Amino acid sequence: MTSGLRKAHKYIWLLLLIIVPLIMILSVKDLEIFSSESDTTSQSNGSKKGSLKTSENELIKASVFESHLEIILKATLKTSSSVVYEMDTKGNKSTIIGQLTAAGIYNFNINNLPKGIIIYDDLKQVEITKLKF
Amino acid sequence: MGLDYKLVLWNAHKKTYDKIIVVSMLLYIIMFAAITFVFNSETSIETLVIRAFGSLAIIMLHIILVIGPLARLNTNFLPILYNRRHLGVSMFIAALIHGGFSMFQFHALGDVNPVYSLFTSNMDYGSLTNFPFQVLGFFALLILFLMASTSHDFFLGNLSAKVWKRLHMMVYFGYALIIAHVFLGAFQQETSLFTIGIMVLGFIVVASLHLITGFKERKIDTTKTKEKEGWLEVCNISEIEEDRAKIFTVENERVAIFKHNGKLSAIHNVCKHQGGPLGEGKIIDGCITCPWHGYQYLPSNGQSPPPFTEKVATYELKLDGETVFINPKAFEEGTEVKPCKF
Repeated sequence: MTSGLRKAHKYIWLLLLIIVPLIMILSVKDLEIFSSESDTTSQSNGSKKGSLKTSENELIKASVFESHLEIILKATLKTSSSVVYEMDTKGNKSTIIGQLTAAGIYNFNINNLPKGIIIYDDLKQVEITKLKF
Repeated sequence: MGLDYKLVLWNAHKKTYDKIIVVSMLLYIIMFAAITFVFNSETSIETLVIRAFGSLAIIMLHIILVIGPLARLNTNFLPILYNRRHLGVSMFIAALIHGGFSMFQFHALGDVNPVYSLFTSNMDYGSLTNFPFQVLGFFALLILFLMASTSHDFFLGNLSAKVWKRLHMMVYFGYALIIAHVFLGAFQQETSLFTIGIMVLGFIVVASLHLITGFKERKIDTTKTKEKEGWLEVCNISEIEEDRAKIFTVENERVAIFKHNGKLSAIHNVCKHQGGPLGEGKIIDGCITCPWHGYQYLPSNGQSPPPFTEKVATYELKLDGETVFINPKAFEEGTEVKPCKF
Protein backbone atom coordinates (compact mmCIF):
# COMPACT_ATOMS: atom_id res chain seq x y z
CA MET A 1 0.00 0.00 0.00
CA THR A 2 1.06 3.57 -0.59
CA SER A 3 1.51 5.91 2.37
CA GLY A 4 -1.80 7.60 1.49
CA LEU A 5 -3.70 4.31 1.58
CA ARG A 6 -2.04 3.33 4.83
CA LYS A 7 -3.12 6.64 6.34
CA ALA A 8 -6.66 6.18 5.00
CA HIS A 9 -6.80 2.71 6.57
CA LYS A 10 -5.64 4.12 9.89
CA TYR A 11 -8.27 6.87 10.00
CA ILE A 12 -11.06 4.56 8.82
CA TRP A 13 -10.29 2.07 11.57
CA LEU A 14 -9.99 4.77 14.23
CA LEU A 15 -13.43 5.98 13.14
CA LEU A 16 -14.88 2.46 13.15
CA LEU A 17 -13.43 1.79 16.60
CA ILE A 18 -15.43 4.72 17.93
CA ILE A 19 -18.64 4.43 15.91
CA VAL A 20 -19.26 0.66 15.85
CA PRO A 21 -19.05 0.02 19.63
CA LEU A 22 -21.21 3.13 20.15
CA ILE A 23 -23.91 1.75 17.83
CA MET A 24 -23.67 -1.64 19.50
CA ILE A 25 -24.01 -0.26 23.03
CA LEU A 26 -26.78 2.24 22.29
CA SER A 27 -28.85 -0.27 20.32
CA VAL A 28 -28.76 -3.05 22.93
CA LYS A 29 -28.70 -1.11 26.20
CA ASP A 30 -32.51 -1.09 26.53
CA LEU A 31 -33.05 -4.68 25.47
CA GLU A 32 -34.26 -7.09 28.11
CA ILE A 33 -31.80 -9.75 27.11
CA PHE A 34 -32.21 -12.00 30.12
CA SER A 35 -35.96 -11.90 30.43
CA SER A 36 -37.12 -11.80 26.83
CA GLU A 37 -38.75 -14.81 25.21
CA SER A 38 -37.73 -15.93 21.77
CA ASP A 39 -40.17 -14.63 19.17
CA THR A 40 -40.31 -17.28 16.48
CA THR A 41 -42.64 -15.34 14.22
CA SER A 42 -41.01 -11.96 14.33
CA GLN A 43 -40.57 -11.66 10.60
CA SER A 44 -44.21 -12.47 9.94
CA ASN A 45 -45.19 -9.74 12.36
CA GLY A 46 -44.19 -7.04 9.94
CA SER A 47 -41.09 -5.12 9.21
CA LYS A 48 -41.32 -2.10 11.47
CA LYS A 49 -42.63 -0.48 14.62
CA GLY A 50 -44.18 2.90 15.22
CA SER A 51 -47.63 2.49 13.67
CA LEU A 52 -50.32 5.07 14.46
CA LYS A 53 -53.08 2.45 14.79
CA THR A 54 -53.13 -1.31 14.70
CA SER A 55 -55.94 -3.80 14.57
CA GLU A 56 -55.95 -7.56 14.16
CA ASN A 57 -58.21 -10.56 13.74
CA GLU A 58 -57.68 -14.21 12.80
CA LEU A 59 -57.20 -13.42 9.08
CA ILE A 60 -55.29 -10.16 8.96
CA LYS A 61 -53.31 -7.63 10.93
CA ALA A 62 -53.49 -4.02 9.74
CA SER A 63 -51.30 -1.14 10.83
CA VAL A 64 -51.74 2.48 9.81
CA PHE A 65 -48.60 4.55 9.33
CA GLU A 66 -48.31 8.22 8.38
CA SER A 67 -48.53 7.66 4.65
CA HIS A 68 -49.25 4.00 4.18
CA LEU A 69 -51.28 1.07 5.35
CA GLU A 70 -49.58 -2.22 6.12
CA ILE A 71 -51.71 -5.35 5.92
CA ILE A 72 -50.35 -8.71 6.96
CA LEU A 73 -52.43 -11.45 5.40
CA LYS A 74 -51.82 -14.41 7.69
CA ALA A 75 -52.92 -17.10 5.21
CA THR A 76 -53.97 -17.03 1.58
CA LEU A 77 -57.73 -16.47 1.36
CA LYS A 78 -59.89 -19.00 -0.47
CA THR A 79 -61.92 -16.28 -2.15
CA SER A 80 -61.16 -15.52 -5.80
CA SER A 81 -61.26 -11.76 -5.20
CA SER A 82 -60.05 -9.95 -2.08
CA VAL A 83 -60.31 -6.19 -2.49
CA VAL A 84 -59.32 -3.86 0.34
CA TYR A 85 -61.79 -1.00 0.88
CA GLU A 86 -61.57 1.95 3.20
CA MET A 87 -64.37 1.96 5.77
CA ASP A 88 -66.51 5.10 6.00
CA THR A 89 -68.00 6.59 9.16
CA LYS A 90 -71.10 4.38 8.83
CA GLY A 91 -69.04 1.23 8.62
CA ASN A 92 -69.63 0.75 4.88
CA LYS A 93 -66.99 0.31 2.18
CA SER A 94 -65.95 3.49 0.40
CA THR A 95 -62.75 3.94 -1.67
CA ILE A 96 -60.63 1.05 -2.91
CA ILE A 97 -57.20 0.81 -1.31
CA GLY A 98 -55.84 -2.24 -3.10
CA GLN A 99 -56.07 -5.96 -3.55
CA LEU A 100 -54.75 -8.96 -1.64
CA THR A 101 -53.57 -12.17 -3.25
CA ALA A 102 -51.24 -14.59 -1.45
CA ALA A 103 -50.32 -14.52 2.24
CA GLY A 104 -47.72 -11.90 3.01
CA ILE A 105 -47.08 -8.29 3.95
CA TYR A 106 -48.76 -5.61 1.81
CA ASN A 107 -48.04 -1.89 1.78
CA PHE A 108 -50.60 0.53 0.32
CA ASN A 109 -50.37 4.29 -0.05
CA ILE A 110 -53.08 6.19 1.84
CA ASN A 111 -53.88 9.90 1.89
CA ASN A 112 -55.82 10.02 5.16
CA LEU A 113 -56.26 7.86 8.22
CA PRO A 114 -59.02 5.32 7.54
CA LYS A 115 -61.68 4.53 10.15
CA GLY A 116 -61.20 0.90 9.29
CA ILE A 117 -60.85 -1.48 6.36
CA ILE A 118 -63.14 -4.01 4.71
CA ILE A 119 -61.88 -6.95 2.71
CA TYR A 120 -64.55 -7.68 0.15
CA ASP A 121 -65.04 -10.35 -2.51
CA ASP A 122 -66.20 -8.29 -5.49
CA LEU A 123 -67.09 -11.35 -7.57
CA LYS A 124 -69.35 -13.06 -5.05
CA GLN A 125 -70.38 -9.74 -3.50
CA VAL A 126 -69.59 -10.92 0.04
CA GLU A 127 -67.69 -9.34 2.86
CA ILE A 128 -64.69 -11.44 3.89
CA THR A 129 -63.62 -9.54 6.99
CA LYS A 130 -63.38 -6.06 8.41
CA LEU A 131 -61.25 -4.23 10.94
CA LYS A 132 -61.96 -0.98 12.79
CA PHE A 133 -59.15 1.27 13.96
CA MET B 1 -1.05 -8.98 -15.51
CA GLY B 2 -3.11 -9.92 -18.51
CA LEU B 3 -3.13 -7.83 -21.65
CA ASP B 4 -6.53 -9.11 -22.64
CA TYR B 5 -9.30 -9.81 -20.20
CA LYS B 6 -11.06 -13.07 -19.64
CA LEU B 7 -14.19 -13.42 -17.53
CA VAL B 8 -12.37 -15.45 -14.89
CA LEU B 9 -8.72 -16.48 -15.04
CA TRP B 10 -9.09 -20.03 -13.82
CA ASN B 11 -6.20 -22.12 -12.63
CA ALA B 12 -6.05 -25.29 -10.57
CA HIS B 13 -5.76 -23.39 -7.27
CA LYS B 14 -8.70 -21.14 -8.02
CA LYS B 15 -10.87 -24.07 -9.09
CA THR B 16 -10.11 -25.92 -5.85
CA TYR B 17 -10.66 -22.79 -3.82
CA ASP B 18 -13.98 -22.03 -5.52
CA LYS B 19 -15.17 -25.58 -4.94
CA ILE B 20 -14.38 -25.16 -1.23
CA ILE B 21 -16.36 -21.88 -1.18
CA VAL B 22 -19.42 -23.41 -2.90
CA VAL B 23 -19.41 -26.58 -0.78
CA SER B 24 -18.97 -24.59 2.45
CA MET B 25 -21.81 -22.22 1.54
CA LEU B 26 -24.14 -25.12 0.71
CA LEU B 27 -23.21 -26.95 3.90
CA TYR B 28 -23.93 -23.87 5.97
CA ILE B 29 -27.34 -23.33 4.35
CA ILE B 30 -28.28 -27.00 4.80
CA MET B 31 -27.15 -26.97 8.43
CA PHE B 32 -28.97 -23.72 9.11
CA ALA B 33 -32.17 -25.10 7.57
CA ALA B 34 -31.89 -28.36 9.50
CA ILE B 35 -31.35 -26.60 12.84
CA THR B 36 -34.22 -24.20 12.12
CA PHE B 37 -36.63 -27.02 11.26
CA VAL B 38 -35.67 -28.91 14.41
CA PHE B 39 -35.84 -26.01 16.87
CA ASN B 40 -38.21 -23.60 15.13
CA SER B 41 -40.45 -25.58 12.81
CA GLU B 42 -42.99 -22.75 12.40
CA THR B 43 -40.50 -20.65 10.42
CA SER B 44 -41.63 -19.97 6.86
CA ILE B 45 -39.40 -20.73 3.88
CA GLU B 46 -39.02 -17.02 3.07
CA THR B 47 -37.92 -16.24 6.62
CA LEU B 48 -35.54 -19.18 6.58
CA VAL B 49 -33.94 -17.99 3.34
CA ILE B 50 -33.63 -14.43 4.65
CA ARG B 51 -31.98 -15.55 7.87
CA ALA B 52 -29.77 -18.26 6.40
CA PHE B 53 -28.30 -16.11 3.63
CA GLY B 54 -28.08 -13.01 5.83
CA SER B 55 -26.08 -14.81 8.49
CA LEU B 56 -23.97 -16.54 5.83
CA ALA B 57 -23.08 -13.21 4.23
CA ILE B 58 -22.07 -11.75 7.60
CA ILE B 59 -19.85 -14.73 8.43
CA MET B 60 -18.22 -14.54 4.99
CA LEU B 61 -17.67 -10.77 5.35
CA HIS B 62 -15.85 -11.34 8.64
CA ILE B 63 -13.63 -13.96 7.01
CA ILE B 64 -12.89 -11.59 4.11
CA LEU B 65 -12.00 -8.77 6.49
CA VAL B 66 -9.49 -10.84 8.45
CA ILE B 67 -7.70 -12.30 5.42
CA GLY B 68 -5.78 -9.07 4.71
CA PRO B 69 -4.27 -8.57 8.18
CA LEU B 70 -3.72 -12.32 8.65
CA ALA B 71 -1.69 -12.44 5.43
CA ARG B 72 0.38 -9.47 6.65
CA LEU B 73 1.06 -11.24 9.96
CA ASN B 74 1.61 -14.74 8.60
CA THR B 75 2.60 -15.58 5.02
CA ASN B 76 0.78 -18.94 5.25
CA PHE B 77 -2.44 -17.02 4.63
CA LEU B 78 -1.22 -15.56 1.32
CA PRO B 79 -2.90 -18.24 -0.85
CA ILE B 80 -6.26 -17.23 0.64
CA LEU B 81 -5.51 -13.60 -0.10
CA TYR B 82 -4.75 -14.59 -3.69
CA ASN B 83 -8.31 -15.92 -3.99
CA ARG B 84 -10.09 -13.33 -1.84
CA ARG B 85 -12.01 -11.73 -4.70
CA HIS B 86 -13.96 -14.91 -5.46
CA LEU B 87 -14.94 -15.09 -1.81
CA GLY B 88 -16.06 -11.46 -1.97
CA VAL B 89 -18.27 -12.04 -5.01
CA SER B 90 -19.75 -15.17 -3.36
CA MET B 91 -20.48 -13.14 -0.24
CA PHE B 92 -22.24 -10.50 -2.37
CA ILE B 93 -24.42 -13.21 -3.94
CA ALA B 94 -25.42 -14.43 -0.45
CA ALA B 95 -26.16 -10.83 0.63
CA LEU B 96 -28.16 -10.23 -2.56
CA ILE B 97 -30.34 -13.30 -1.90
CA HIS B 98 -30.92 -12.04 1.65
CA GLY B 99 -31.74 -8.53 0.44
CA GLY B 100 -33.87 -9.73 -2.48
CA PHE B 101 -35.99 -12.02 -0.37
CA SER B 102 -36.38 -9.36 2.34
CA MET B 103 -37.50 -6.85 -0.29
CA PHE B 104 -40.00 -9.37 -1.65
CA GLN B 105 -41.22 -10.39 1.79
CA PHE B 106 -41.68 -6.91 3.18
CA HIS B 107 -42.10 -4.51 0.27
CA ALA B 108 -42.98 -6.21 -3.02
CA LEU B 109 -46.70 -6.71 -2.37
CA GLY B 110 -49.22 -3.88 -2.46
CA ASP B 111 -49.23 -0.86 -4.73
CA VAL B 112 -46.11 0.92 -3.44
CA ASN B 113 -42.84 0.70 -5.35
CA PRO B 114 -40.68 -1.70 -3.29
CA VAL B 115 -37.67 0.63 -3.18
CA TYR B 116 -39.87 3.61 -2.31
CA SER B 117 -41.59 1.47 0.31
CA LEU B 118 -38.23 0.50 1.80
CA PHE B 119 -37.34 4.15 2.38
CA THR B 120 -40.76 5.40 3.46
CA SER B 121 -42.52 2.56 5.25
CA ASN B 122 -40.75 3.50 8.45
CA MET B 123 -40.02 7.22 8.65
CA ASP B 124 -38.66 7.12 12.19
CA TYR B 125 -35.22 8.32 11.09
CA GLY B 126 -34.81 10.34 14.30
CA SER B 127 -35.02 7.28 16.51
CA LEU B 128 -32.15 4.91 17.20
CA THR B 129 -33.83 1.68 18.26
CA ASN B 130 -36.73 2.16 15.84
CA PHE B 131 -34.49 3.39 13.02
CA PRO B 132 -35.44 2.05 9.55
CA PHE B 133 -32.67 -0.53 9.63
CA GLN B 134 -33.54 -1.96 6.22
CA VAL B 135 -32.25 1.26 4.65
CA LEU B 136 -28.84 0.57 6.20
CA GLY B 137 -28.84 -2.92 4.70
CA PHE B 138 -29.84 -1.48 1.33
CA PHE B 139 -26.86 0.90 1.28
CA ALA B 140 -24.51 -1.86 2.45
CA LEU B 141 -25.78 -4.06 -0.39
CA LEU B 142 -25.18 -1.19 -2.81
CA ILE B 143 -21.55 -0.94 -1.66
CA LEU B 144 -21.11 -4.71 -1.98
CA PHE B 145 -22.63 -4.55 -5.46
CA LEU B 146 -20.20 -1.80 -6.51
CA MET B 147 -17.30 -3.86 -5.24
CA ALA B 148 -18.43 -7.16 -6.75
CA SER B 149 -19.20 -5.59 -10.12
CA THR B 150 -15.79 -3.89 -10.32
CA SER B 151 -13.82 -6.79 -8.89
CA HIS B 152 -12.50 -7.90 -12.26
CA ASP B 153 -9.03 -6.83 -13.40
CA PHE B 154 -10.67 -5.04 -16.33
CA PHE B 155 -11.95 -2.37 -13.90
CA LEU B 156 -8.72 -2.42 -11.94
CA GLY B 157 -6.81 -1.65 -15.14
CA ASN B 158 -9.21 1.03 -16.31
CA LEU B 159 -9.99 2.76 -13.03
CA SER B 160 -6.31 2.76 -11.94
CA ALA B 161 -5.09 0.86 -8.89
CA LYS B 162 -5.47 3.93 -6.66
CA VAL B 163 -9.13 4.61 -7.52
CA TRP B 164 -9.95 0.89 -7.48
CA LYS B 165 -8.38 0.43 -4.06
CA ARG B 166 -10.19 3.44 -2.61
CA LEU B 167 -13.46 2.15 -4.05
CA HIS B 168 -12.87 -1.25 -2.48
CA MET B 169 -11.95 0.27 0.86
CA MET B 170 -15.64 1.19 1.06
CA VAL B 171 -16.06 -2.34 2.40
CA TYR B 172 -15.26 -0.93 5.84
CA PHE B 173 -18.22 1.46 5.65
CA GLY B 174 -20.30 -1.42 4.33
CA TYR B 175 -19.21 -3.45 7.35
CA ALA B 176 -20.25 -0.66 9.75
CA LEU B 177 -23.61 -0.35 7.96
CA ILE B 178 -24.17 -4.11 8.22
CA ILE B 179 -23.40 -4.12 11.95
CA ALA B 180 -25.86 -1.25 12.44
CA HIS B 181 -28.40 -3.05 10.21
CA VAL B 182 -28.20 -6.17 12.37
CA PHE B 183 -28.13 -4.41 15.74
CA LEU B 184 -30.98 -2.03 14.92
CA GLY B 185 -32.99 -4.68 13.08
CA ALA B 186 -32.73 -8.36 13.87
CA PHE B 187 -31.43 -7.85 17.40
CA GLN B 188 -34.31 -5.49 18.26
CA GLN B 189 -36.89 -8.05 17.14
CA GLU B 190 -35.26 -11.21 18.38
CA THR B 191 -32.95 -10.65 21.28
CA SER B 192 -30.34 -13.30 21.88
CA LEU B 193 -27.26 -12.89 24.01
CA PHE B 194 -25.56 -15.56 21.92
CA THR B 195 -25.99 -13.83 18.54
CA ILE B 196 -25.16 -10.42 19.99
CA GLY B 197 -22.04 -11.94 21.58
CA ILE B 198 -20.97 -13.52 18.31
CA MET B 199 -21.28 -10.20 16.46
CA VAL B 200 -19.38 -8.32 19.17
CA LEU B 201 -16.67 -10.97 19.18
CA GLY B 202 -16.47 -10.82 15.38
CA PHE B 203 -15.91 -7.06 15.50
CA ILE B 204 -13.29 -7.41 18.24
CA VAL B 205 -11.38 -10.00 16.17
CA VAL B 206 -11.55 -7.98 12.95
CA ALA B 207 -10.64 -4.68 14.63
CA SER B 208 -7.84 -6.24 16.70
CA LEU B 209 -6.19 -7.89 13.71
CA HIS B 210 -6.30 -4.64 11.74
CA LEU B 211 -4.86 -2.73 14.70
CA ILE B 212 -2.07 -5.25 15.32
CA THR B 213 -1.15 -5.12 11.63
CA GLY B 214 -1.30 -1.33 11.68
CA PHE B 215 1.11 -1.14 14.62
CA LYS B 216 3.44 -3.63 12.94
CA GLU B 217 3.42 -1.53 9.78
CA ARG B 218 4.03 1.62 11.80
CA LYS B 219 7.26 0.10 13.07
CA ILE B 220 8.62 0.00 9.52
CA ASP B 221 7.63 3.61 8.91
CA THR B 222 9.23 4.91 12.08
CA THR B 223 12.57 3.10 11.71
CA LYS B 224 15.27 5.79 11.73
CA THR B 225 17.81 5.95 8.92
CA LYS B 226 21.05 7.90 9.07
CA GLU B 227 21.74 10.39 6.30
CA LYS B 228 25.21 10.77 4.85
CA GLU B 229 25.83 13.23 2.01
CA GLY B 230 22.32 12.84 0.60
CA TRP B 231 22.34 9.05 0.94
CA LEU B 232 20.44 7.11 3.57
CA GLU B 233 22.15 4.31 5.45
CA VAL B 234 19.64 1.48 5.55
CA CYS B 235 21.22 -1.82 6.60
CA ASN B 236 24.09 -4.26 6.48
CA ILE B 237 24.21 -6.40 3.37
CA SER B 238 23.99 -9.57 5.48
CA GLU B 239 20.54 -8.53 6.75
CA ILE B 240 19.03 -9.24 3.32
CA GLU B 241 18.37 -12.87 2.35
CA GLU B 242 19.27 -14.13 -1.13
CA ASP B 243 16.40 -13.59 -3.65
CA ARG B 244 14.51 -11.73 -0.95
CA ALA B 245 14.20 -8.10 0.11
CA LYS B 246 14.24 -5.84 3.12
CA ILE B 247 11.73 -2.99 3.25
CA PHE B 248 12.54 0.58 4.29
CA THR B 249 10.61 3.82 4.37
CA VAL B 250 12.20 6.52 2.27
CA GLU B 251 10.53 9.95 1.93
CA ASN B 252 7.28 8.45 3.32
CA GLU B 253 7.21 5.69 0.71
CA ARG B 254 8.22 2.06 1.11
CA VAL B 255 11.20 0.79 -0.83
CA ALA B 256 12.22 -2.85 -1.24
CA ILE B 257 15.93 -3.67 -1.57
CA PHE B 258 16.45 -7.06 -3.19
CA LYS B 259 19.57 -9.23 -3.11
CA HIS B 260 20.05 -11.48 -6.14
CA ASN B 261 23.06 -13.12 -7.84
CA GLY B 262 25.64 -10.94 -6.11
CA LYS B 263 23.68 -7.75 -6.86
CA LEU B 264 21.37 -5.34 -5.01
CA SER B 265 18.38 -3.58 -6.60
CA ALA B 266 15.83 -1.22 -5.10
CA ILE B 267 12.28 -0.63 -6.32
CA HIS B 268 9.11 0.98 -4.97
CA ASN B 269 7.47 -1.55 -2.66
CA VAL B 270 3.92 -1.10 -4.02
CA CYS B 271 2.69 -3.44 -6.75
CA LYS B 272 0.81 -1.72 -9.57
CA HIS B 273 -1.91 -4.35 -9.51
CA GLN B 274 -3.50 -4.06 -6.08
CA GLY B 275 -0.82 -2.38 -4.02
CA GLY B 276 0.72 -5.62 -2.79
CA PRO B 277 4.03 -5.44 -0.85
CA LEU B 278 6.63 -6.41 -3.46
CA GLY B 279 9.35 -6.57 -0.80
CA GLU B 280 7.55 -9.47 0.84
CA GLY B 281 7.74 -11.44 -2.37
CA LYS B 282 10.78 -13.15 -3.80
CA ILE B 283 12.73 -13.30 -7.02
CA ILE B 284 11.42 -16.07 -9.25
CA ASP B 285 12.96 -16.69 -12.68
CA GLY B 286 14.89 -13.43 -12.34
CA CYS B 287 11.76 -11.37 -11.64
CA ILE B 288 10.52 -9.79 -8.42
CA THR B 289 7.20 -11.55 -7.85
CA CYS B 290 4.39 -9.93 -5.87
CA PRO B 291 3.26 -12.22 -3.05
CA TRP B 292 -0.40 -11.28 -3.53
CA HIS B 293 -1.23 -12.14 -7.14
CA GLY B 294 2.08 -12.99 -8.77
CA TYR B 295 2.64 -9.79 -10.79
CA GLN B 296 6.31 -9.62 -11.82
CA TYR B 297 8.91 -6.87 -12.27
CA LEU B 298 12.54 -6.87 -13.40
CA PRO B 299 14.83 -5.82 -10.51
CA SER B 300 17.01 -3.60 -12.72
CA ASN B 301 14.28 -1.34 -14.14
CA GLY B 302 11.05 -2.07 -12.24
CA GLN B 303 9.28 -3.04 -15.47
CA SER B 304 7.07 -6.07 -15.98
CA PRO B 305 8.70 -8.35 -18.55
CA PRO B 306 7.27 -7.89 -22.09
CA PRO B 307 4.50 -7.97 -23.25
CA PHE B 308 3.25 -6.65 -19.91
CA THR B 309 3.33 -2.94 -19.26
CA GLU B 310 3.27 -2.35 -15.50
CA LYS B 311 6.24 -0.46 -14.06
CA VAL B 312 7.30 0.88 -10.68
CA ALA B 313 9.83 3.48 -9.55
CA THR B 314 13.46 2.46 -9.08
CA TYR B 315 16.15 3.72 -6.69
CA GLU B 316 19.92 4.05 -6.78
CA LEU B 317 22.00 2.09 -4.25
CA LYS B 318 25.62 2.16 -3.17
CA LEU B 319 27.78 0.09 -0.88
CA ASP B 320 30.29 1.31 1.65
CA GLY B 321 31.98 -1.88 2.76
CA GLU B 322 29.10 -4.03 4.04
CA THR B 323 26.73 -1.08 4.55
CA VAL B 324 23.95 -0.40 2.08
CA PHE B 325 23.03 3.19 1.21
CA ILE B 326 20.05 4.38 -0.83
CA ASN B 327 19.47 7.60 -2.72
CA PRO B 328 16.05 8.74 -1.43
CA LYS B 329 15.16 10.41 -4.73
CA ALA B 330 13.11 7.94 -6.76
CA PHE B 331 13.69 7.59 -10.48
CA GLU B 332 10.79 7.68 -12.94
CA GLU B 333 8.85 4.42 -13.06
CA GLY B 334 10.63 1.85 -15.19
CA THR B 335 14.00 3.66 -15.20
CA GLU B 336 16.97 1.35 -15.72
CA VAL B 337 19.38 1.48 -12.76
CA LYS B 338 22.63 -0.39 -12.73
CA PRO B 339 22.40 -2.99 -9.91
CA CYS B 340 24.86 -2.47 -7.09
CA LYS B 341 27.38 -5.34 -7.19
CA PHE B 342 29.03 -6.83 -4.11
